[in-house]
Amino acid sequence: MNERTPVIDALCHMILLVGAALVCLPIYFVFVTGSLSQQEIMRVPMSWLPGSQFFANMQTVLSNANFGRLLLNSFIIATGITVGKLAVSVIAAFAVTYFRFPFRMTAFWLIFMSLMLPIEVRIVPTYESAANVALPLNILGSWLGIKALVDLDWNLVNTYSGLILPLIASATATFLFRQFFLTIPDELCEAARIDGATPWQFFRLILLPLSRSNIVALAIILFLMGWNQYLWPLLLTTEPAMANAVIGLKKLMPQSDSLPTWHLLMNAAFLTMLPPTIVILILQRWFVKGLVDSGK
Amino acid sequence: MLARNKAAGLAQAAGGGGPRLRSPLRRLFVKGTSDGQTESGLKRAHFKEWRLPFWLLAPQLFILLLFFFIPSIRALIQAFQLTDPFGATTQWVGFQNFERLFRSNVYWSSAQVTLIFTIAQNVLTLSLALLLAFASNHILRGRGAYRTVLLLPYAIAPAIAGIMLAFLFNPRVGPVAHMLQGMGLDWDPNRNSWHALALVVMAASWKHICYNYIFLVAALMSVPQSILESAYLDGAGPIQRFLRISLPMIAPTLFFLIVINFVYGLFETFAIVDATTRGGPAGATSILVYKVYQDGFVTLDLGSSAAQSVVLMALALLLTFAQFRFVERRVNYSV
Amino acid sequence: MRPFYGALAGAGALLLTGISAVQAATEIELWHAMSGALGERVDEVVKKFNDSQKDYVVKSIAKGTYDEVLNGTIAAYRAKRQPEIVQSNERSFLTMVNSGAIVPTNELMAEQGMPLDTSKFIAPVVSYFAINGKLQAMPFNSSTPILFYNRDHFKAAGFDKPAATWQELEPQLDAIKAKGVSKCAMVLPGDYEWSFLENYSAVNDIPYATKRNGMDGLDTSFVFNKGKLVGQVERMKRLVSSGVMQLAGQGIIPIQLFTSGECSTIIASTASHAAVVAAAKFDWSAREIPYEQGVTPKNSVIGGAALWTLKGHTPEKYKAVAAFYDFLAKTDTQVWWHQATGYVPVTTAAYDAAKAQGYYEKNPTREIAVVQLMRGTPSDNSLGFRIGNSNQINVAIMEEVSAAFLGRKPVQQALDDAVSRGNEALRRYEQLNAGKK
Repeated sequence: MNERTPVIDALCHMILLVGAALVCLPIYFVFVTGSLSQQEIMRVPMSWLPGSQFFANMQTVLSNANFGRLLLNSFIIATGITVGKLAVSVIAAFAVTYFRFPFRMTAFWLIFMSLMLPIEVRIVPTYESAANVALPLNILGSWLGIKALVDLDWNLVNTYSGLILPLIASATATFLFRQFFLTIPDELCEAARIDGATPWQFFRLILLPLSRSNIVALAIILFLMGWNQYLWPLLLTTEPAMANAVIGLKKLMPQSDSLPTWHLLMNAAFLTMLPPTIVILILQRWFVKGLVDSGK
Repeated sequence: MLARNKAAGLAQAAGGGGPRLRSPLRRLFVKGTSDGQTESGLKRAHFKEWRLPFWLLAPQLFILLLFFFIPSIRALIQAFQLTDPFGATTQWVGFQNFERLFRSNVYWSSAQVTLIFTIAQNVLTLSLALLLAFASNHILRGRGAYRTVLLLPYAIAPAIAGIMLAFLFNPRVGPVAHMLQGMGLDWDPNRNSWHALALVVMAASWKHICYNYIFLVAALMSVPQSILESAYLDGAGPIQRFLRISLPMIAPTLFFLIVINFVYGLFETFAIVDATTRGGPAGATSILVYKVYQDGFVTLDLGSSAAQSVVLMALALLLTFAQFRFVERRVNYSV
Repeated sequence: MRPFYGALAGAGALLLTGISAVQAATEIELWHAMSGALGERVDEVVKKFNDSQKDYVVKSIAKGTYDEVLNGTIAAYRAKRQPEIVQSNERSFLTMVNSGAIVPTNELMAEQGMPLDTSKFIAPVVSYFAINGKLQAMPFNSSTPILFYNRDHFKAAGFDKPAATWQELEPQLDAIKAKGVSKCAMVLPGDYEWSFLENYSAVNDIPYATKRNGMDGLDTSFVFNKGKLVGQVERMKRLVSSGVMQLAGQGIIPIQLFTSGECSTIIASTASHAAVVAAAKFDWSAREIPYEQGVTPKNSVIGGAALWTLKGHTPEKYKAVAAFYDFLAKTDTQVWWHQATGYVPVTTAAYDAAKAQGYYEKNPTREIAVVQLMRGTPSDNSLGFRIGNSNQINVAIMEEVSAAFLGRKPVQQALDDAVSRGNEALRRYEQLNAGKK
């Protein structure tokens, strides 16, 4: 098609430019506010132009709020969630799509149900479970009157596993993999079986390589989700060194009684936004490819 | 038949990398389009064995048991209790929490707000994303750069996005608010409930447009070039081609996104509401999921909060089946 | 997944905080809700205590907002991992007292041989946090609302300073707006239920709820939908609709509109001093909150928070808690805290000491809150509030009152609805806690 449509072309660029500007405007303001001094932010209206304090504010944030450590924690938590959830989900999806076994549908519905209740709604009982993973055994023990079970105590508070595991407990990724597996031609599996491949070989040599772009796209999504967690880490950490960057951010949030430090908050927000933004920038191609490829 | 496969493929494009966690509706929808098997969700070519799948499922089910089922059941039981937050005193009250809920005007007005909010958010998100997707599908140069920028909101935590927008639109200090006031609009979301609702809708859409956009771009790319070319030879311009050919062909994706946007609006917007309006003024933006959060976490009315989540879950289920039964089939036929 | 990972991470965390050096010291945790500069002051006062002796170490941990701290504590208590001390706001008093999770401060201190003499505390603090004269919590950051004003604006409008009564103040505010001195003569604080309704009823000696605002039992009911309080809300609505009083909204905090010079007055907690001193680049001052003409004003009531001791720890730990409270009650500590934060000193001795230093001559506005709190003899209406399910009720009242501001319902109707929603929550609290305080 060699079509010339200069008016529509110009219009399209304009639409995209306006869209890009609308997306960038709030982010730009985070940057501007993060570069102002305490006096400058107290002025109304605030400046449209960046001030000179960006690096000074950054230094304050990094040293006072221990942000370096918090960013590292965010990274560990996000990576843990990504890797853990992908690993657990892909094998579970393999099981429910490629095997006929008793209670297959039961297993499927049990997983399906976990999509229904966000963690925020059940956060206090989830905390109780994480504070002592042996809780179900305790309850069982008290029914059966076994003292040894009642006294079991396995604490995940202030641990990375406590921050990661409960966030893995949702079946989204399992479902996405299941949907993908359902579109894979049956012939592949048939051929593999004729060649005498075991299910595990089929999974490792055929299914996993086929799912590569889905895994990448999902990994990005899960990483971002893990990075932006707030309520759960807030509840589960008492050791300030175990908190994540978003919690550090909220600690800088001005409250009614205290001096508003928006410049530090926004500076920290900018720092917190940076790693996920870089992830999007670098892996964007993969991300979109993962979505497009899976349609073929 | 071809159209049906296409629909399945596109829906799949949608399902392939969807980040919307906990979105039951979409799973069912997608499942509906791709299941041609005798036993639902099972490959025609499959293995008959039970030991291996047991071990494959065990890690997931074990984690779910510990951190989902046990806590959830404990949370839902509270819907039938009156309980002290610390657990000192607990009384069984049967359906009292539900009765209180359905008698409460506040709850019904919250339901009304939720309806307006989810529809408005859906329309705004989808139409803007469609506009942007059409534009970036049409142009040849700079596509990658635009796409990169448009994806950015995805990287930003909802709480941060909410604070930024609340600030920009603050009627006293916000630069955008000042612009609006300069244009003669008496912008004040603190005193005008429609303005507050508009703000929440904008904030929720700002965070979610990129998600819609990505799926639409992917769907538009897979519209067969040959059909578009023959339309071009018939003299159809770009806009006509878009409206007459591309749009109907990506209908399943559109439908899928509508469902996703509803789920997003219903379940995942409380952080944004909390940061931009805190449900105010006078409950004007207190959507159902925000009330669940507020009653459970802020005001410690645990029984009511649990009852509300039961209602919300029932609503999600109902919506799932309604969409699946009525809307989805019709869309597939029309392709 | 395996326990040793948890143990490993735990050990790592311990190493990082470096407590291993002080082997013998008993360590206790304090969870608090102070962020920003006030959070640093809490860390400082804790450090002062830790440096003052060798036996105990207090670790101060910021756990988010008051709501988040309370939820964190509830979750931790249910899982038996509660800290020794938790900061909770004045509104949560009954929730904490009836939780079955706390050790009353009075008992704790008596057991550890360091009894606190309640007569040394200022009266509104004791009446709020004590039952039958026995302190349930350790008063920590106590505040009360005062009226901050921009003196430049008042002079420009031809006034010396804000008037003492609402009847005279209202025309002043109108004039400031009408003469174009400022587009915003007053900014409504976020916690107006506390400063404009509860404190208004205390200062003007009118009942807010029956049974001495709940002090005499859980069968209390709200009565703020009649008399002067209706007039007060009518007045607020008038000020809001004429644009004289502005709402800050999300994205900024109200005090910022005052310190930036945009708004001429704000009724805010005395703890706002820190923000005002640091940021206000104009001639500012403060005075007592306004009252009704013809009334002899009573004391205002406190806000802020207290420290609660949680059950389930070893006697060693409670020794540490008691030592920390004892340190907090010391005059030196109180004077320092008062001056560093803007909160009021909780003992009369600390107030006298600050006075003797000449502190109030140099900083006259710092004395206003203390004087206002100790004004007159507390009446049944100014003792404080003892309301169950207080968080729920607070949200309901604010929702109804702002519906009146928006013109969605008449003021009387809004207050009637607020009372009936409040009473419903009170009855539910009574049902659950039958037979308790």
